[in-house]
Amino acid sequence: MQCAESLRLQAYFDGELDALAAAAIERHAEHCDECRTLLTELEETRTRLRRELDYPPAPPTLRARITRLLNEESGVRAPRHAAAAWRTRPFWLGAGGGLVSACAAGVVLFFLSAAAPGPVLDDLLAAHQRSLMPAHLTDVISSDHHTVKPWFAGHADVSPVVADFAPQGYRLVGGRADYFEHQRAAVVVYQHGAHVINVFSFVAGRRNLPQFATRGGYHLLAWRVGDLEYCAVSDAGWDELQGLARLLRDLAAQEVR
Amino acid sequence: MPHLDAAYRFARWLTRSSADAEDIVQEAMLRAFRGFEGLRGTDAKGWLLAIVRNCHATALKQRLRSAAAPLPPETQFDPPSSAPDPQAASIDQDERRRLDRLLAALPQEHREVLLLRELEDMSYREIAAVTQVPIGTVMSRLARARAALRGKYLEEEAGAPRAVR
Repeated sequence: MQCAESLRLQAYFDGELDALAAAAIERHAEHCDECRTLLTELEETRTRLRRELDYPPAPPTLRARITRLLNEESGVRAPRHAAAAWRTRPFWLGAGGGLVSACAAGVVLFFLSAAAPGPVLDDLLAAHQRSLMPAHLTDVISSDHHTVKPWFAGHADVSPVVADFAPQGYRLVGGRADYFEHQRAAVVVYQHGAHVINVFSFVAGRRNLPQFATRGGYHLLAWRVGDLEYCAVSDAGWDELQGLARLLRDLAAQEVR
Repeated sequence: MPHLDAAYRFARWLTRSSADAEDIVQEAMLRAFRGFEGLRGTDAKGWLLAIVRNCHATALKQRLRSAAAPLPPETQFDPPSSAPDPQAASIDQDERRRLDRLLAALPQEHREVLLLRELEDMSYREIAAVTQVPIGTVMSRLARARAALRGKYLEEEAGAPRAVR
């Protein structure tokens, strides 16, 4: 016999539940012996695997061989010890072969960290995608901005503009707190037709986000109001995103006045 | 080369052989490199592990087709890294070997979700992308895998003579 909540408990253990669902399962576990036991068992199995499993890194010989192969693959005649050369010598010192192998290695490094430029954008996209998972979208569900806005006061480090733009086609669904850029960001969730639009807001960093970006088919549109950075993320079209951004910018301007 | 270690570890536990793992990873890195355009999302690690998994599946199929090379028995796995770790006590070594053996004996669909979740710390969504099954399937497989590993572990512990300390 297994408690009907066991899969949800597992999801809780794996950090897959949002704050509300997590709180609910914690309440459940208080009264369910079976779930409390399961939680202990999950923890034991994890600890054992992480501590005891034979899990060695790639052997250096394999690393060297693949580096050489990829260098050859990229059309560069790889000098021997290419891997050693680019690791120990700054590329501008390495004349000839050293320079070439440094470039080749750069290509290799680049292709695996292709997402490196704009880690903030990646975080935003990841948060958006996570929000689309069942029960991840909103912490507070309300189409009333008088409910959503005060909710952020206790749950996020910023207080963004919030309004229901249903007449204009952007229905306010609710709000959510998200953690990134070392702060509790506020996320306001809108629905436009079949599209979910997450509007992230957080204290602007020193780096400017690019105004437009597209990642994995999602559009990211960023703008700044005062010291707040806003970024709308959605699979909706650019026009739709800009429509919402315009409404929010106007609203922010009114609030300042 | 970021993620090479993850690729190798994953391949090693898919194939249960260090030598096969090296071949698989090499093949996967080449495929990844050639298919550079194929990476559209942001999860380079998951992308690479998915390629590793495909390479493993292809290699398995080829081996099944050629009658000349019989499949290795299910539990074949090289002994854990032969260089003795001076810090690890012999009891630790026994524990390690037992866990290795039990994990190696699990079916692949259980082994892989356990590794990706517990050792690579990947989310359900990421695991679903690597193993190409829906998230719900990831969840149920993970639950079964954890229960199976734990069950076998307890079974052995009950049957095994008490460790001499």
